[in-house]
Amino acid sequence: MDPGRPWAEAVAIKDGRFIAVGGRAEMDALRDEHTREVDLQGRFAMPGLYDMHTHPDLSLAPGYADYLDVGLESPTPDDIAKAILDYAESHPGDGWIYGSYFVHFTFRQAEIEPGCEWLDTVMPDRPVAILDRSWGSMMVNSKALALANITADTPDPGNGFIQRDSITGEATGILIDGAYAMIHAAMPPTPQHALKRAYREGVQYQSSRGVVATKYVHVCEHRLEALKSIDDAGEMTLRVEAAISWQDDIFPVKRRWELLSGERHYYRSARLNANAVKFHFDGVHETRSSYLSSPWPGEEKWRGGLNLTPEHITDMVVDLDRRGIRVISHCTGDGASDLFLDAVAEARRVNGGGVRHQCAHSTLLLEENLARFKELNVTAEFSPAVWYPSDFAYARTQAGEEKMKTLYNFKGVLDAGGVAVMGTDWPVSNINPWIGFETMVTRKNPWGDYSEPFYGEPISLEQAIKVMTINGAWSMGIEHKAGSIEVGKSADLIVLDRNLFELEPQGNLHNTRVDITVMEGEIVWDRLDQFEQAELEAVWKSDQVPTFYERMED
Amino acid sequence: MSKKFSPIPVTVISGFLGAGKTTLLNRILNGDHGRKIAVMVNDFGEINIDSQLIVSAEQSMVNLSNGCICCTVESDLIEQLHKLINLRERPEYILIETSGVSDPSKVVNTLCYPQFRQQLTVDAVVAIIDADNFSSLDGDRRKLAMDQLSVADIVVINKTDLATTRQVESFRQQWLYPYARVFETQFADIPVELLLGTELFETNHSPSKSGHQCNANCDHNHNQQFATYSWESDQPLSLSKLRHALKQLPENLYRAKGFVYLAESPKHRCKVHLVGSRVEIEKEERWQQMPKNQLVMIGWNNLDAAHLNQALENCYS
Repeated sequence: MDPGRPWAEAVAIKDGRFIAVGGRAEMDALRDEHTREVDLQGRFAMPGLYDMHTHPDLSLAPGYADYLDVGLESPTPDDIAKAILDYAESHPGDGWIYGSYFVHFTFRQAEIEPGCEWLDTVMPDRPVAILDRSWGSMMVNSKALALANITADTPDPGNGFIQRDSITGEATGILIDGAYAMIHAAMPPTPQHALKRAYREGVQYQSSRGVVATKYVHVCEHRLEALKSIDDAGEMTLRVEAAISWQDDIFPVKRRWELLSGERHYYRSARLNANAVKFHFDGVHETRSSYLSSPWPGEEKWRGGLNLTPEHITDMVVDLDRRGIRVISHCTGDGASDLFLDAVAEARRVNGGGVRHQCAHSTLLLEENLARFKELNVTAEFSPAVWYPSDFAYARTQAGEEKMKTLYNFKGVLDAGGVAVMGTDWPVSNINPWIGFETMVTRKNPWGDYSEPFYGEPISLEQAIKVMTINGAWSMGIEHKAGSIEVGKSADLIVLDRNLFELEPQGNLHNTRVDITVMEGEIVWDRLDQFEQAELEAVWKSDQVPTFYERMED
Repeated sequence: MSKKFSPIPVTVISGFLGAGKTTLLNRILNGDHGRKIAVMVNDFGEINIDSQLIVSAEQSMVNLSNGCICCTVESDLIEQLHKLINLRERPEYILIETSGVSDPSKVVNTLCYPQFRQQLTVDAVVAIIDADNFSSLDGDRRKLAMDQLSVADIVVINKTDLATTRQVESFRQQWLYPYARVFETQFADIPVELLLGTELFETNHSPSKSGHQCNANCDHNHNQQFATYSWESDQPLSLSKLRHALKQLPENLYRAKGFVYLAESPKHRCKVHLVGSRVEIEKEERWQQMPKNQLVMIGWNNLDAAHLNQALENCYS
């Protein structure tokens, strides 16, 4: 919104931009024979939404990859053998057979030791990996061990181990916890069709909920390839900033550097860029691995863990900043964000101005750091959207009563002049941005499941609208050309079924329906099929969009 | 190796709420057994410690006058284990209770992580089962029951006074797998030696029930006690045959320890550590004297010496 003109009756759009914003009479002067007029019949329109941290790929792609699913509650070894053979027959070739699941108990009952010896009798020629039901171990055959280069000499990873024969030291074909990563690294990446379908459905859904720009913060070249193919097909109906992952799970170190040092530009288009990198700086609150500024309650020393040393992340931020790459750093503990802000301060000292970096999650922030977001031009990104009472939200409130009072401190950052944005972090919280939107204003449960409000302070509706729109544009570095309804900016707007200023937010904002989403002047979503078969026909039809969670529509 | 550096044996006890774990742990914590045992529980609430015994207490750890420590697992097992390992007075033994909702196999896997390899060793994994309640399990509880049993070295069937013979029998048929090692009892009256195996093999210690030295005045049934069987031989054994034979031992044979002379590893002594149905055979240093097999086996009540002797002689390579 243009602060000088918070309300307008009409807009005129040409070549994807707003050319006039104001009264109806002003628009008439611009009309020519190509003009199409759309009467919104008094409905409420506002700038499109910005979801600044989410993952459709992690949520959906594994389910679309067509992996082996034994499909029984407690399959016996015979059931599993049959499922593997059936899968091999319907998926001929020499490719991996990967899937779930087996149950240790049924192997004991059948007097079979799970591992490569047994699995080789079922399938010796193709690599096979089957997860157990409780996700604590993976059974692989000899072919899979060979392809993953696992031998008697392979060291164990720190967060798991390779089960071995106590006499020969050879792997038995049972891998525990972190040792799966060796198999995943040897396997082909998640199939392109699954990644493409996952992102496409994510984009569809986001457009249908009024999202016009988003950040997918965990990508590799395969994910970028999938995004590019959606873009090439003209189906990228929102702007995407993709952050290249700094985790080992999707690709090796060398590839990251190749992507970062130039290959990322190959994917650049009007709607897609990969000019960001995602670091996993600390852990999570549920397992007390978030890095706090003081010990966890009940601990003398334990403050949580860092995945990179402060020196390492400082060097990285300075170097990436110099290259014009945005650093999005996972910081759930107030100690992690403190160190991250220090790293940005060092980048500013060395490089001057530079890129707007992003403190991701920002679950807890130190009071003394609130003003530094403005000083250092860092975005405070709050995610997942769980700032309202729920079982899930309460599971992460163990850092002590004092700290809890400042959980997800939108207000603190905004009052100190900083920029706050939100992310759904799907699948951690659900992808409908309106739930986070409502609850940042109320801090209450939208469905009335809990009567008390959540920890932390609410913000005003006006502030929340900025968090959901122009602040997102700022965090993407496009606030001069998008993020508000102003002449000269990209014509991105959404039309709602209700006026947000004429309702009691609790229980009435999260279920807002977006009737129309306009992106760069093009109608991409048309809930009521108003424009069907017409010149302005939308890219996505109302019957195409998947529903991921029933409840969030109510 | 000095005692300071030897790994601390850990026993994991699983079972649903009401199976008898708490009764057992209370007895250990309040008992006069002279061992420094650290007991890790999910929640102090269920534990009942005699207040006379408490020497000091902080938020997650209570020190007792009998040398025991009781602490809560809280949310981070790994951190709490590090704490125990680094105590000035290291516990001689760690017992971990896994609650009715957590998967004991995850705990066992954690104990085997490389970071603990020099510090901890899994001694026994014991599942305490209430045969009465077991038949009606469904959904996630049924899956958890499978996890508890599949990782167990010894299955304890508790409260058999309340459960009918038929219930115990039906539990055995539905849930037990071949060659499970089973101990049936009431009121969670489990000999501590079954849980903390090291004691049984100490030379000056005659096996007895719960640390009690039997004598002529005892009024309990002397049948209820540990029995030992020792076996020696100088012929090399086949590793696969030995593994097979040790798996198939009778259900009342709970522990075995010793050294073997394996055809697969003739120059190196191999150590055998058997707890219930779990067998570990590990290569150690080179033989210093003439290679030979030396095994001690411990069971409850009677062991059939002729049968055991035959089973082991069948392992000659």
